[in-house]
Amino acid sequence: MTKKSKLKLGNGNRCERLHALAISETGFIFDPQTGQSFTVNQTGLFVLNGFKKGKDSETVSHDLADACSVPIELAQSSVEAFILQLERYL
Amino acid sequence: MTKLLWEPPFIQPHRLGEINKFGRMKARDNYVEHVFGVPVALLKEEFGSPCFVTSEIHFRNNLRNLKKAFERRYGDVIHGWSYKTNYISAMCNIAHQEGCYAEVVSAFEYEKARKLGVPGKKIIFNGPNKGKDILERAINDGAHIHLDHLDELNLVSKIASRLNKIVEVSLRLNFDTGFTEPWSRFGFNIESGQARQATRLLAASKNLKLSGLHSHIGTFILEPKAYIQQVRIMCKFMREIEASHDIEIDTIDIGGGLPSKNALQSIYLPPEQVIPPLSEYADAICNTLIEETNYRNQLKRKKPTLIFESGRAAVDDTQALIVSVVGNKRLPDGKRAAILDAGTNLLFTAYWYNHQVQMTRPADGPLADTALYGPLCMNIDVVRSSIQLPPLEYGDTLVINPVGAYNNTQWMQFIEYRPNVVLVHEDNTYSVIREREDLEVMCQQDRLPEHLKIAFSTTEAKK
Ligand SMILES: Cc1ncc(COP(=O)(O)O)c(C=O)c1O
Repeated sequence: MTKKSKLKLGNGNRCERLHALAISETGFIFDPQTGQSFTVNQTGLFVLNGFKKGKDSETVSHDLADACSVPIELAQSSVEAFILQLERYL
Repeated sequence: MTKLLWEPPFIQPHRLGEINKFGRMKARDNYVEHVFGVPVALLKEEFGSPCFVTSEIHFRNNLRNLKKAFERRYGDVIHGWSYKTNYISAMCNIAHQEGCYAEVVSAFEYEKARKLGVPGKKIIFNGPNKGKDILERAINDGAHIHLDHLDELNLVSKIASRLNKIVEVSLRLNFDTGFTEPWSRFGFNIESGQARQATRLLAASKNLKLSGLHSHIGTFILEPKAYIQQVRIMCKFMREIEASHDIEIDTIDIGGGLPSKNALQSIYLPPEQVIPPLSEYADAICNTLIEETNYRNQLKRKKPTLIFESGRAAVDDTQALIVSVVGNKRLPDGKRAAILDAGTNLLFTAYWYNHQVQMTRPADGPLADTALYGPLCMNIDVVRSSIQLPPLEYGDTLVINPVGAYNNTQWMQFIEYRPNVVLVHEDNTYSVIREREDLEVMCQQDRLPEHLKIAFSTTEAKK
């Protein structure tokens, strides 16, 4: 499976996992399934909240590029890397 | 909508014990805009980054406080400025203007002291490698030679005999105080009888006269009691040899070793909480020396002059290093990392200190565990392996301190040019006291044999 297909969060399980996460405004995350907690930075929080709202990675990348005034390519590649991290932990 | 500050999105798992007292606290107010009264931005603009900044008034005050602490308690005291701790010419001359002798340990340091105008009589010549020529010069200059080993004793004796002189010498001793790892590779050991043997040879020598005892029990000594033991052992040895030979000891040199306000990596508590005040050391040393030499009053003999050779305690907190962030990274384990334009090439002391690192602007994000790396292509080039810092940006200026001891001497000419060293004068004006290196400096000792003068032939170069 390529990164792209996962980026779209077509995987229902993962979507559920994301919804189950308790995410605080400051970026503190608790995964009730494993008891593991995490910290995300502000941009990570932005991306996670986008996913929770059901947006796909393309849309989230565009939103992020807008919110931070950075080139879309930078936002896209960073979101891809972020998803790789999520896959490691969730 | 308020703009979101760009940083690549990142998630980091918490590990047990990682959530600490800093929590996710903001550190907006923990920054400095000045070093030693001069705006950091101004210094960086004028002298570049990295750049060492030193305070004349701080150094003078430290030297005065040290001298006063011993003088008030004991009287006859000499401070030998330990050149190896910082031998930038201006720093040495500040020390000499404050009355310090030069404490040197090599031909280079000896020649430097003489070049700066220090008379031989005000030079204490230590170290295990004093060559024949420099010893001859030191003897002719009347410098205080501290013998380190038997071969040196014989060499000095031969030179003195050839010059038809009687040379006063001191013996460097080593012994176990029970507090510090004995520096037993320097000088003559008391417990094994080596020191006695050397004394016997000196007592029998026509050209050498033993008049001083010296020892240096280590560095960054956190226990004042170690000095009590040191002085006791030295004085006991002094009385024994004075009783059994025709010897009179005029100087007791206790070396250096007083700690500075820096954070040793092995110690968790901040320096303010672990480092005893100077007064405790001065009490320990002077009270013991007074006690142990009281017998001389009855004999109407002068007490020995106390020599101390404090290096880091005098100079460490008189210097800061201005550095810049040249890159940010996330390590695979999620930890933040930044690359600085100065590493262990300039901060040799980063190998054993957790140097304080301060921002020069308000933080705009929460603190996080961060590693600070230097610019060298070496894995061990680590300025701080773990420090709580807010997000850093490319070009950010940081101030690292205290860095005044041993860095301007042990820095390496490896990969990078060594930077400007600036001195802030007493009137708050400032000047460069050591120019940054350039290509010419880096290459000036290179010699190209005729057949290697050309790297590429003209035809090849065009390809
Ligand atoms: C003989 C001698 N004197 C003085 C010093 C200065 O020591 P410190 O900086 O610990 O005071 C040293 C340091 O190694 C030394 O070897």
